[in-house]
Amino acid sequence: MPEPSEKSLIKIEKFVKGFAEKTGTAMHPNPTVTESVVKGLAANVDELGRPLCPCNFYPDKKAEAKLRRWICACDEMQIYKYCHCLLFVREDGLPITEYLPEGHEGRKCYGVVNDPTPDKGRALRHQAPKTPSTS
Amino acid sequence: MGKAVSVSTTTWDTEVGKAGSLVMVDFWAVWCGPCQMVAPIVEELATEYDGKLKVLKLNTDENPDIAGKYGIMSIPTLLFFKNGQPVEKVVGAVPKRALKEAIDNLLKAPTA
Repeated sequence: MPEPSEKSLIKIEKFVKGFAEKTGTAMHPNPTVTESVVKGLAANVDELGRPLCPCNFYPDKKAEAKLRRWICACDEMQIYKYCHCLLFVREDGLPITEYLPEGHEGRKCYGVVNDPTPDKGRALRHQAPKTPSTS
Repeated sequence: MGKAVSVSTTTWDTEVGKAGSLVMVDFWAVWCGPCQMVAPIVEELATEYDGKLKVLKLNTDENPDIAGKYGIMSIPTLLFFKNGQPVEKVVGAVPKRALKEAIDNLLKAPTA
């Protein structure tokens, strides 16, 4: 994978900082995690024109980049405040999982992780299925 | 001492299909943050389970056909194989103890 351009890196770093503030989330305490994801997003901006999540495998990256769901901040982040890439997490490095549907892989991996700032984020929360776990 | 070995499309059949032991494959990508967290754990497990578990890692960007064949979506994904067939899947930056539990259970389970 080629290194991303400085221009895209700056753009993504600015976005990430602003989105974290807006949603009451933090950067991962291990800076290598954040650095990797930021570089991946910037590389995808260079390659595809959009910040496609670098923590998924896509059989067709170009086709996926035309959709909304895995463009950062992805649908899971906007609906459930869950970032499986660990870019937007709590201060302790854990991703928020409390709004995820039961059985979601995030719940299986991390258990129930509560949101310390429930008044922030989840701009698309209305798109969450109406189940007891997401009310 | 065990070590996680890189596997590719060309070596897949030999390394996974014809392996005599339980196999764990770490599906990863270069710019995936959680993959950076799991990688050292995978290396530790390769050493700790040397002789009982074959530990491999596959770069999904470089080997999309294999990742696609096994329906990989979120990464990292750790897939376990017995006799060349997938038997267990663990997704995400799981703690080491959870992976050890999965491995121990698979090692205890009778081979079909």
